[in-house]
Amino acid sequence: MINTLRDIWTVFSIEVRRVFGDRMVLLIFFLAPILYPVIFCYLYHNENVENMAVAVVDESRSADSKRFIHKLDATPELTVAYRCSNLGEAHQLMNDHEVRSIFYFPKDFSSRLAEMRTARVIVFSDMSSFYFYKAALTGGNAVLIDEMHTIELQRYEQAGLTDEEAIIQMQPVVMENTTLFNPTGGYGSFFLPCLMILVLHQTIFLGICILTGDANENRKSLRLIPSHLRRKSIQRVTVGRALCYLLIYVPLCILDLWFIPRWFHLPQLGNLYTILIFCLPFLLAVIFFGMTVGNLVVRQKISPMLCFVFFSLMLFFVSGMVWPQESMPRFWYHFSYLFPSTPGVQGFVKIASMGAPLSEVRNDYMALWLQAAVYFSASTLILSAKLFLRRRKNIIIHNLRQRRQMYLEAQYKR
Amino acid sequence: MKQSVLRVLYRELRRIWLNPRYFIIMTLGIAFTFVFFSTITKEGQPKRLSVAVVDMDGSYLSRRICHEINATPGVKVAAVYNNHTEARKAMQRGDIFAFYEIPKGTYNDLLQFRSPHFVLYVNSAYMLAGTLSYKQLATMGMLATGAVQREVYRKKGYNDEQIMGLIQPIEYDTRNIGNPWINYGNYLMTTLIPAVIAFLVLMHTAYVIARERQEKTVKSWLRRAGNNTLYALIGKMIPYTVWYTLLCLLANLIMFGPMGFPLEGSWMLLVVSSILLIFAAQCAGCFIACAIPDPPLTMGISALYSAMSFSLSGFSFPVESMPRFFYSFSWLYPIRHYFRNFSDIAIYGNGFSICWPRLCALMAFGILLILGAYLLHWQQMREKRLSVQHVKTDVL
Repeated sequence: MINTLRDIWTVFSIEVRRVFGDRMVLLIFFLAPILYPVIFCYLYHNENVENMAVAVVDESRSADSKRFIHKLDATPELTVAYRCSNLGEAHQLMNDHEVRSIFYFPKDFSSRLAEMRTARVIVFSDMSSFYFYKAALTGGNAVLIDEMHTIELQRYEQAGLTDEEAIIQMQPVVMENTTLFNPTGGYGSFFLPCLMILVLHQTIFLGICILTGDANENRKSLRLIPSHLRRKSIQRVTVGRALCYLLIYVPLCILDLWFIPRWFHLPQLGNLYTILIFCLPFLLAVIFFGMTVGNLVVRQKISPMLCFVFFSLMLFFVSGMVWPQESMPRFWYHFSYLFPSTPGVQGFVKIASMGAPLSEVRNDYMALWLQAAVYFSASTLILSAKLFLRRRKNIIIHNLRQRRQMYLEAQYKR
Repeated sequence: MKQSVLRVLYRELRRIWLNPRYFIIMTLGIAFTFVFFSTITKEGQPKRLSVAVVDMDGSYLSRRICHEINATPGVKVAAVYNNHTEARKAMQRGDIFAFYEIPKGTYNDLLQFRSPHFVLYVNSAYMLAGTLSYKQLATMGMLATGAVQREVYRKKGYNDEQIMGLIQPIEYDTRNIGNPWINYGNYLMTTLIPAVIAFLVLMHTAYVIARERQEKTVKSWLRRAGNNTLYALIGKMIPYTVWYTLLCLLANLIMFGPMGFPLEGSWMLLVVSSILLIFAAQCAGCFIACAIPDPPLTMGISALYSAMSFSLSGFSFPVESMPRFFYSFSWLYPIRHYFRNFSDIAIYGNGFSICWPRLCALMAFGILLILGAYLLHWQQMREKRLSVQHVKTDVL
């Protein structure tokens, strides 16, 4: 037991020295997980598009359309920036990106209302960003509903119904909407919890890959393992290294998943204890995943950076936050569970944004432990296989040398 | 000039031929990204999202509402619960994205002319799924209410047009410019694929220069270019410019051709913007790699720089709504200019007269190339000076 601990300590101290001796790894381990969450929180501080400029084309020129336009201007989402005399002018403004949406009131708008028929408002919206569309829709719908109630009430009065009867006629069933967990529907509250986990995932993964690549490149990967551990007990090396990364990342986890969301007022319903308990298997899974991939493929110090881009992007889309998991093609769904980020993101969002207790994220939690176990054995196996191959190669070389020596000696004797 | 650029070009091609690993990985990466996004967003919008009904009434009416929700195209009723807590827990587990709560005594209320209250709960922590299921369920709710009203008016002797006028006095007729069917794949892929390619070309350019430094072959590289750093950089960039431009054009060709995404404006402008995007990204990569002499740090800084490019391109969340500083900061990203041009060309069909400032901005990234060449030259001179001094002290 004491031997085990001593071995782990040896490997641990070697690894700590390597981490703190490498500028790039320091940059990735300490700067990135602090800098990115803060920058992105600041970036998405305005959760929604506010006061988006719209153009109005009022061909009806009536009291009804005027009231409608005033109400549009009063919504927090929209600002009536231009009143155009015809549609061509408005389209020109839209082409110049001066406005993102056009509300067009046709000539018969008021007369149709007077005739008790359905009047139409034509809305053109810019689809270059879905947020322009969303702002136009939210602001426009609020006005539409309000206006409809006013008009309906007038009509019922005309039809000779009392107020109370009219209200019941108008709304035989009352629909109430309650938006849970992200009441403003903002981009920041949706994206940032997901980003926190991804930043942690990617920095750990990249840092470990770089360290492994560095060792492989300088052909010192063997030298970094204490000689008495090379034959058996290779798992102590894996544990010792993992412990080093784990100890570095626990404080960063608390900072990224607890303090920064507090400072920027992101939805935070979970408590610190649950988050920490959830983080443990997540960190372990990511660390062992990084070690597996690093041992398997990385040969150079600087090359892991190259593939890091599309990898991050893919992890984000495969995590099920953007495209719901149940609508994903089956292949991608199973593929996504190769990476600890998928259960990590799912579980953390459920805990932090939706306030789920640990019992409700059982599946994700168990998936993370499973991944940790699988990747732990995989990384250990790969390391020992590598050592075995290296040893065999050394033996072969040694034998060859000996044979050559014998041959030379024989030659010499002759 | 031609000679020295050609010599560097030949050398670079030979280097790629001898170690094609990264070249192949990058190409496969782009292909993978393309296939990934096109298969995952194949349906355009997520279909059949899981929602639930909390049926506390247990009447004929509440069962009919379940059926009607099931008949709505975008959603399906995954479960019917007896109380609110169960549904909330299912939502926290991520099993459902929204649920309708039908309170006890709804049917009785309706019969006695008291308006019953239905509550629709939506989980908007999942952006797309939440919004879509809300839209579907709210529409369904309005239609259901309308159906009840229509029955009443028919009995009172109104005709159908009058009834529509009474139920819905005003309606919106929405025209979504550039993406009429609100296809998510169209929206994502047309910007993300060029962004990924630009990102990769930046990293790859930085990598090949960093690799020269790491292998300590900078001198032989520069000697081929007659010690002119600008020619050396240009010769080194050409193979990557050509290859990534071809990939970018191929991706655009597939997206606007067989995949049928709409392209309003001219092909020619899109091609020019794509070429300039690749060029600008390469210049940025060159500048970073030349300015920072330490190879690992080069890669670290270029990754830090480009990790923000997706956000600052402004296609997910508009840059105009970000803090002022970042709005200006986004000008330092080639993809931002490309994206603005792209929306002008593909969505509005604008011509050169509108697009030229952004094309110029992309070309202005060429300054970074010249600056990078100058920095590299300066570093070489300094090294030479230092090494000369070193020799002198040795002699002494």
